[in-house]
Amino acid sequence: MSGLKCPQCGSVDVVEDDLYGQSQSVCVDCGSVVREGSLAPDPVGGTDVSYSFSTQKSKRPCPNLIKGLQRARSLCRVLRVNSDIETLTLSYFERAYVHERFLCVSLEKKEVLAGCCLLASCRTHGWPVTMATVAFLLETDAAAMGSVYQDALRILNVQVPAANICDIIEAHCQQYRLSPEHVPSELAVDLRALTRRTVALVELAAESWIVTGRRPAPLLTAAMYLSWQSLHPSPLRLKTGLGKFCQIGGVPKSKYALMRVTELREMLCKLGNAIPWEKQEVTPDNVMPQVEDILDHRFALMRKALRSFEESLQTEAEKAPDPEGDQRDSPLEREVRDTAEDPGLSPSERSEAGADWGKGVLFAPPCVGRPRKRKRTPSSRTDVTGDEDISDSEIDSYIRTPREVRDFVAAQKLISTEKDNV
Amino acid sequence: MDSNNDEALDIIITNVVATFRTRCHLNLRTIALEGNNVIHKPESGKVLMKLRKPKITASIWSSGKIICTGATSEMDAKLGARRLARCLQKLGFKVRFSAFKVVNVLAVCSMPFSVQLIDFTKKNRPIASYEPELHPAAIYRIKHLKATIQVFSTGSITVTGPNVQNVATAVEEIYPLLFECKKPLCK
Repeated sequence: MSGLKCPQCGSVDVVEDDLYGQSQSVCVDCGSVVREGSLAPDPVGGTDVSYSFSTQKSKRPCPNLIKGLQRARSLCRVLRVNSDIETLTLSYFERAYVHERFLCVSLEKKEVLAGCCLLASCRTHGWPVTMATVAFLLETDAAAMGSVYQDALRILNVQVPAANICDIIEAHCQQYRLSPEHVPSELAVDLRALTRRTVALVELAAESWIVTGRRPAPLLTAAMYLSWQSLHPSPLRLKTGLGKFCQIGGVPKSKYALMRVTELREMLCKLGNAIPWEKQEVTPDNVMPQVEDILDHRFALMRKALRSFEESLQTEAEKAPDPEGDQRDSPLEREVRDTAEDPGLSPSERSEAGADWGKGVLFAPPCVGRPRKRKRTPSSRTDVTGDEDISDSEIDSYIRTPREVRDFVAAQKLISTEKDNV
Repeated sequence: MDSNNDEALDIIITNVVATFRTRCHLNLRTIALEGNNVIHKPESGKVLMKLRKPKITASIWSSGKIICTGATSEMDAKLGARRLARCLQKLGFKVRFSAFKVVNVLAVCSMPFSVQLIDFTKKNRPIASYEPELHPAAIYRIKHLKATIQVFSTGSITVTGPNVQNVATAVEEIYPLLFECKKPLCK
């Protein structure tokens, strides 16, 4: 007799009466089956051997993997890459997809993975594609793409060569609609000549700290704009602003491009002032006609400009012994400067030895040339041990007096009633 | 390496993050009401308290866990944490200062030369990674020190590590690698 109650008649007279292999509990009075066991006992928590391991004959390919491969293929078609790159992309994707890092991630991330594999294979083959382009095609942001890309490179264990800005100039130039069939003749330009000039300008920018650490697209827009102006420096072109140029060329505007234009112009002015046959001073307003000469003789002009800058620094240093400098600098900067004034170093090396070496070179990035004065609290106190006694008076300054608490509560009530009234 | 270099590298600690526990439940409303220099953030369930000396910001949770940020040395962090615990004691909580631990130290340092980042990444793959489209610095991770170093092309580096000693060791380790990839001066 088992301690069960029949739901039909309410009787407690329930006996175990097995039917062949199945255990059953049956009510004696009405004959209904109160409880029955399972035919074949299933282990708790599922079987140790999974279905796919024991019974499944052929493993079906994962539908998301197929979709991902199709997405990768379509990205390859959009970018019109060759078949080697496409094959490599697909093989990278298949390898990365089955790795544990990408097993239980969102479908969005798997799509981004497809883009990252394409980017890695393009870079391996030297095909110029930027991360921004692929992120735009995938409709995702660069940060999300960046993290997936770095993980993918680690998992696939591939060494991709670093992207060089000069590789993407040609691809960038092709999107500009500045040939004679698109724009009037006074604004039109030969795209090959424009590309050549832009390449030379970007190489010059790379030597003068304008390229490093900056996004490539705005810089290329700025370089294209200045190259376009300098190829035919008519008053119309010189009056055309950057925004108008982007509109004419059919490319998106960028606020950073304007900053790059200013920096490039300043750099060109510095080199323009080194031209021996140029009598008047070269300013950002009148530098455009000289750009062709500057680019043709850029190496010689760069050397000459650097040498004259060093000479001017030396004459300045000889003239004024700089008495206020010691008061301005903090002790640590003074120490570095003193050790840097070792007569064994050449002037240019000496100028680079200090922490803010931007003052001593002709071209320097803005973070060094115009450094923000960091407010260093003079708390390099070496006498603090962390275990000192803490006096009551300093702690009391952090606690409100009862009167202040009352005032605070009253003020809060006032503010909340005003809010309710409004 | 250091015998060739006459100048000492100045490592400036900009931030020290430390945590400790008070071993008692804290009433955030009371702290917000009776404490000076306190900001209550009910949506994240914490209270921010700022100390003047040393200049520290503390995030206080009701469970008694407190995170202090903004100190410029490990000792300052400990002193600030103890001051904070004492302040909470005065507010009426049965605080026991325990489990103090410096969790993160951030320092900056300036090399006396510029660095060719592409060269540096090539020579130190796969420990170093450089993606100019994502971030202008190359990232170098030293596993055994648990330190991460960001190297900028101007020669400045930022080092993040679990304590000051690790940070100093990390700078010593990376200096020769950076010196190899020194950028030649424009000629």
